[in-house]
Formats: sequence, structure tokens, C-alpha cells
Amino acid sequence: MHSSLSNLRLAGLAVTTGSVVRDFIADGLAAGVDRAALERTAKAISLRERRVATPGITALDLCTDATTRLLSEMGLDATSIDAVIFVTQTPDHAQPNNASLLHGRLGLSKSAPAYDLSMGCSGWVTGLQQAALLCAHGGAARVLLCAGDTLSRLTNPGDRSTDPLFGDAGSATIVEKTGRSAPLHFVLGADGSGAEAIIVRQGGARHPTGPLDERIDAEGNRTHEANLVMNGADVFSFTLREVPGAIESVLRHAGYIPATTDALVLHQANRFILSTLAKKTGFTAAQTPMSVVEHFGNQSSASIPCALIHGLGDRLEAGPLKVVGCGFGVGLSWGAFAGEIGPLTIAPILSLPR
Amino acid sequence: MTRAEQLAALRTDVDALAHADEATVLATLPQWDSLAILLVVSHFEHVHDLEITGAQVRVCRIVGDILNLIPPLS
Repeated sequence: MHSSLSNLRLAGLAVTTGSVVRDFIADGLAAGVDRAALERTAKAISLRERRVATPGITALDLCTDATTRLLSEMGLDATSIDAVIFVTQTPDHAQPNNASLLHGRLGLSKSAPAYDLSMGCSGWVTGLQQAALLCAHGGAARVLLCAGDTLSRLTNPGDRSTDPLFGDAGSATIVEKTGRSAPLHFVLGADGSGAEAIIVRQGGARHPTGPLDERIDAEGNRTHEANLVMNGADVFSFTLREVPGAIESVLRHAGYIPATTDALVLHQANRFILSTLAKKTGFTAAQTPMSVVEHFGNQSSASIPCALIHGLGDRLEAGPLKVVGCGFGVGLSWGAFAGEIGPLTIAPILSLPR
Repeated sequence: MTRAEQLAALRTDVDALAHADEATVLATLPQWDSLAILLVVSHFEHVHDLEITGAQVRVCRIVGDILNLIPPLS
């Protein structure tokens, strides 16, 4: 689905990460994995370290911190927010949603609706499109988009194919209605036939509880029914099949070409995937921030805002930049965007607790 | 590409197959794991412009089975 939405701007960005630094090689050695095998994996997909949340810290806490810092940086009062959208698949509770909890924490206006989007790595783009819709056609002048997860809680430490990949983070994005006419373009899509490629089987209404007996796969990876399980090769195939087309489509809608676009900002899955996508879509490595995953891990829906700050922060503050981006992952689903971003306010990447 | 050239290119891109020949049984290779399968999928994309799935690679028994995923005219 394509949409082009005008008269709005991305006004502010903030990211808060978990505070525990986990080293890929050290963790692997502690788990009894051979050093040569670890170095081979680290080299192939550029894994180094990630930041995970301490016990008791949730995506809601990380996003609350990011929001509070961003509002302070922008000099805004929380009551000026007209709606809050919370993208997460690791909410505090089954009910109520995280957006309502955040609404209460921040003391937002009772006229501000609050709802969650249950999406992962593609979710920030979908949330941005929803926030843009609210500004363009929904009567909102300022929307808060929070996006984040604590996926490190869902992976099994004995699953060396998945556990070392994920970091925990929460982001806050402020979208505002303006008189400006340059549109933001979106291309969103899904392929539910691949839904089992990334899945947590237990914990929802279908299988609320049950035995947690561990399975061991051919490579010795351990998982149980409440773990996040990912088929990496199939997710990689899906990414190569769908993401380049989505990026090319949103480039066409925006009238951009790679040579005159300032940056390609992708969901920070790993450097191997990002360099493949950049090459396939005609972008250079210099145009494509790729280092978030080496410092923070795969941060699910918080990874694109983190890449915008980490890779382009100073340039976005001075702005505007012509930016193309794409999130992709669980669902399976994807969301691409293109447009001018900046100048905007950025709160620095900090960890919680500090 | 000849079949020998296809094998050479595969051995270059996928470290687990660096010393393998067509008859090598994949399960006997110490580095034949999920990362190796991902590298094979990537190799097909880069070298042959072919999109294959992890499942297609996972059912291969020997290296020759992987080469058989390349259509004859590719």
C-alpha cells in the first residue's frame, strides 16, 4: 500500500537503551562455544556488543525515559500531545495497552487517544505513517510515537542462533502538523504466509501457558515454547525478496534516485543484511548507517530511530536531509518511507538506569 | 559458468565449503550450520541473481545438491 502525506514534519527523536553491555565473544565463550566459531560469526555478520535491559526495566520504561528527555529537550509540555501510538510486542501487560499506561504516566490530555500497534522491526515506519495520518487527516497537531521492545527477555540464552542478536531499547518520536507541503511517502506491506519465520508460540490466547520443555536443534541450540524463535535463513530470503522492491517503489513515489538521496536508513538487523540491501538498491555504504547493531544489537522497532540519531544525528539537527528508509521483520511485514527529515530536535542516546 | 566455476565460486563465498567437492556430505562439515545456510542464500543472490530459501538449502545432502539449485542455463 502506498500513501503520501503532506503538511507534517518529524520534529524530534530520542532513544533510551538497556544499560547492560553484553559482549558477543565473551558471552559465547561462557556458554562453552568454540572461540574460532564465535569469531567466524562475529566477522560474517559483524556482531560485537549489545545493550540489554536490567531485570524490571520494560519497553514502557525505556520509552517513558526517551519521551521525558525529548519533551524536555524540545521545551514541550506533555499536555500538548494530541495522541500517543505505542509500537511494541513486549508490552507490560496483556491489558491495558502500553500507550494507555504511558498516557497515565505522562499525564496526557483526556482528549488524546492512546493505542498500541503490535509490530516489531517494521513497526516504527508503520507507526510513523499512522502518526502522519493523524496529523494530516485526523485532527492532531502533535503526535507522540513510541516504539521499542525488550526482546532479550524472549530469547533463550542457549539459542546461539538468535539470543546474541537482540538488544533492548525504546524510542520516542514527535510528529507535528505544519504548513509545509513536502510530503512523506510510505509503502507498507505484509506476507502473513511467512508468519512462523519469527514467532513466540506461547503467551497469547492460543497457548497462554503450557510446558516449557527445551528442544535442542541439530546445531545444539535450545528453545522452548515461550521463546522467540527465528529461522534466520528464511527471514534473510524474505528480506532479499521484498525489501528492495519496497525501497525502489517509495523512491519512485518520492521522485528520488539513490545518487541524490542523502541516506538509506534501514532496520538494523545486521551489517551483512544491510550491506546486501544497500548494494541491491544502488546505495553506497557511506549513505547507509550500519553500525547500530554492533554497538546496541538488533533493537526491533527502535532500531531505525536509533540509526537516525547514531548515524545522522548532527546532520538531521541541521537538516533537512532526503532520507529513504525501510523496516522489515516479524509478520512477516515491511514498511518503507521517503521524504525530507530535519531540522529536528534530538535527545542523545542514553541508557536506563543511568 | 561451468559447473566447476560454480563450485569454485560457492567455495569462495561459503567458508564451510572451502575444501569441499561435489560429493562432500554437508552434515560431515563442522561449519555447516545456520550461518553457512545464510551464506549460501546470499551467494545465490549475489552470483546467480537467484532467490532461494533456507528450506531449499537445508534439504540438500551433498554439495552437488546445492549446485543443482542453479537452473541449467544460469
